[in-house]
Amino acid sequence: MTDSTDVTEGGSASPGKRRKVDLKALRSGLKRRDPAKQILNRFRRNLYFFWEKRWLFIAFAVGAGLILMPLPEGMSGPAMKVLAMSVVATILFVTEPVPLPTVALMIIVAQVLLLGLDSTDVARSLMKDSVLFIMGSLMLAVAVVKQKLDKRIAFLIVRMTGTKTAWIAFGISVVSGVLASFVGEHTVAAMMLPVGITLISLTSDDPKKVRNLAAVLLFSISYGCSVAGIGTPSGGARNAIMIGYWKDFFYDPTNPETYKYLIDYMKWMMYAYPMFLLQLPFVTLILLFTFRPEYSDLSRAVVKLRTQIAEQGSMKVSDWVTITLFFLILLGWIFFSGQIGMGTVAILGAATFLAIGLVKWEDVNNGVNWGVVLLYAAAISLGVQMKDTGAAKWVAESFLALLTPIGADQGIGLWAAVSVLTTGVTNTMSNGAAVAVLGPIVLKLAVVADESPIIIGFITAVSSAFAYLTVVGTPACTIVYSSGYLKTTDFLTVGWKMAVMSTVVMLGAAAVYWPMLS
Amino acid sequence: MSEENTDQVHEGEEDRFRILVCIDGSDESYRGLRYAAKLGGGVDADIILLYVRPIDQGLRSGGLQVNVARQNMMDWGIDLPGIRYLKQGRDLLCELGVMSMDWQEKFTHVDISGSTLGDNKIEYIGPGGKEVVLKLKVAPSIARGILDQFELNHYDLVILGASERWRTGRTKSFRDPAVAEKIAFNAPCSVIVARELSIGSGHLICTDGSPQSMDAVRRDAYLASRCKCPISLISIASDEESRPEAEKAVADAKAALDVLGIEVVEAMVRVGDPVREIVEAGPDYSLVVVSDTGKGMLERFFMGSVAFKVMETSYNSVMVVR
Repeated sequence: MTDSTDVTEGGSASPGKRRKVDLKALRSGLKRRDPAKQILNRFRRNLYFFWEKRWLFIAFAVGAGLILMPLPEGMSGPAMKVLAMSVVATILFVTEPVPLPTVALMIIVAQVLLLGLDSTDVARSLMKDSVLFIMGSLMLAVAVVKQKLDKRIAFLIVRMTGTKTAWIAFGISVVSGVLASFVGEHTVAAMMLPVGITLISLTSDDPKKVRNLAAVLLFSISYGCSVAGIGTPSGGARNAIMIGYWKDFFYDPTNPETYKYLIDYMKWMMYAYPMFLLQLPFVTLILLFTFRPEYSDLSRAVVKLRTQIAEQGSMKVSDWVTITLFFLILLGWIFFSGQIGMGTVAILGAATFLAIGLVKWEDVNNGVNWGVVLLYAAAISLGVQMKDTGAAKWVAESFLALLTPIGADQGIGLWAAVSVLTTGVTNTMSNGAAVAVLGPIVLKLAVVADESPIIIGFITAVSSAFAYLTVVGTPACTIVYSSGYLKTTDFLTVGWKMAVMSTVVMLGAAAVYWPMLS
Repeated sequence: MSEENTDQVHEGEEDRFRILVCIDGSDESYRGLRYAAKLGGGVDADIILLYVRPIDQGLRSGGLQVNVARQNMMDWGIDLPGIRYLKQGRDLLCELGVMSMDWQEKFTHVDISGSTLGDNKIEYIGPGGKEVVLKLKVAPSIARGILDQFELNHYDLVILGASERWRTGRTKSFRDPAVAEKIAFNAPCSVIVARELSIGSGHLICTDGSPQSMDAVRRDAYLASRCKCPISLISIASDEESRPEAEKAVADAKAALDVLGIEVVEAMVRVGDPVREIVEAGPDYSLVVVSDTGKGMLERFFMGSVAFKVMETSYNSVMVVR
């Protein structure tokens, strides 16, 4: 069979005199490959490469411009260089022309080459207890996901909640939230995602028929995790970063007055945990009213899920060991982190999981994105430079001068301004990076405006979790989106309601609850 | 990367009509696939379905690799989105009678470090050597993944789904709608951006009399005769004075098609802004065909050409011929 017969058939079907078209000849006439054109194509692609990387060049140009610019009043040479580095890093965080860990490497190199710091000092400034804590928590996260406790948790949820969609959604966000507040939002999102999808796909095979149900159940997981991420220091890397900044900025071993700036695990929980619990019912309400699920009862899916889980058999020894071990780590964080550091406890926990053989090193190695550790280490190190050179103070003063005319230079106005700033920044980059970049500035802002650095610090750390608007805003959202059931527009539809709700709850806490604690 | 292993160059591949369909699970991408099924009906045509999974470079998942979540989903026996979408595409092709499940099946897998799945390829080889390929690959970005395909193989046509978002101009999202834009810029072959692609209502070829557009006319004639679609011609004059020029362009194109023995249903000349006129004439046809004018690179980068503006603003599917 050739092309020509193919077309004659078509031709005979349509009326009119149609000559036989020799497609082969027509095609080979078109097939001439022009070498000059191929070179041109290649050149075009090379040029396109530069176009794709344009933000890298723009960022460097802006940085060079800032350094060469005459110094503004009250600014020293090194401070300007650090500020330029921060601006370049921020542009790169937002536009991502290069993989983000590359930015970390650039920060380290620039500290030595640009600021002229001793390389040993730079290396020393990279590893801190908070960085170890982030690293240990990530290893623990992989260890926990690998234990396959998700089916047990799913069973627990449906046993508690029955078969009504609304209660299942609430149950999912409560359980996801409580777990996420201790083991990190990404961990729980990864564990709970199959639970959500199984419930959805057991209800109907056709994704179009369960779109709203899918949205409610999956967002219950991701927003449950996101609001919980602020609950304890181990909920997210940003919390550890803020704790690190408080210590670096204000703690002075010789001055007992400054001991209050050492925030340990328990103290953080006292500040933030009630806020998380208060938000939980609102999450479910907002989701149910926004999406109105197609099915109000999921008995069919729940029954099937139960039989699936029953195949697993009863709890194994390794399951109990995992749970016990995790409680021990939690107790370690609560009672000993003051003396030996949160990072040490986290790493001890990870080492124990590996030593007992509950998780393989290969799994840990593949599951942890080590670039995150590198990135936060470099970002914190740059943040401390911001403080040491006075750049943070200068930016804080300039920012406050902008806020004064609109009356937002103190009290609740300033808090709202800081919260809005953080929410804005965190929606454009990963929330850990947002806290790392903004932390030094807002803490200095608190000092300049004579506000409590603790409250302002909490506002920043907590607001950085309000990245509900985009898929990439919080880790839990990114993971849940990978299921393929949600659209990017869904995040906008429901995200703004969540952001408003969370901001109101947080400002309420800042005005009423937090001052009672300090 | 050992990409070459997955894509052994077939004997005589150059002579085959190869269509690359990029699937992202959206309705538009399946509409594009239906069209591909129509174009790729003969035994000499291969259809390649591609799903690109971007590598997480932005540390979005907070330090825990998304792969951990994906692995967990697979442990529960849940298909990952990419596989689900590709299977859906395959089922659609079976339904349309382009392929059947009893074809010979060949599975290739290449491990890519840092990814649960790596690159996977299932080839279905039917009678007469016709191939349908499902390919799931991992790449730093979706656009790069698609463009890399052109380095490996030869394709005659690439079909992408354009979501409504792109037209309304919301620029950046996770599944970056600018992907279609990037591919249209850089693909070495013709590109169809599928929107409301209704299949039967013919092609509208835009011509301005330039050699490139005459070439486009001939190339599209080949495609149109593959799917037995009626062809119409349009030329736009910017003002009344240049009307004769436009008329000549249409007449030339008609003559060229006559020589090839292809019938032209309608030939029209309009006066006005080229982009607006073409976009307004578009909805009566299933596909608007514009030629890549080969303008200067800088101009193209800033979306200077009529072709790209039409592609951006059109209500229906657009093919940029190259």
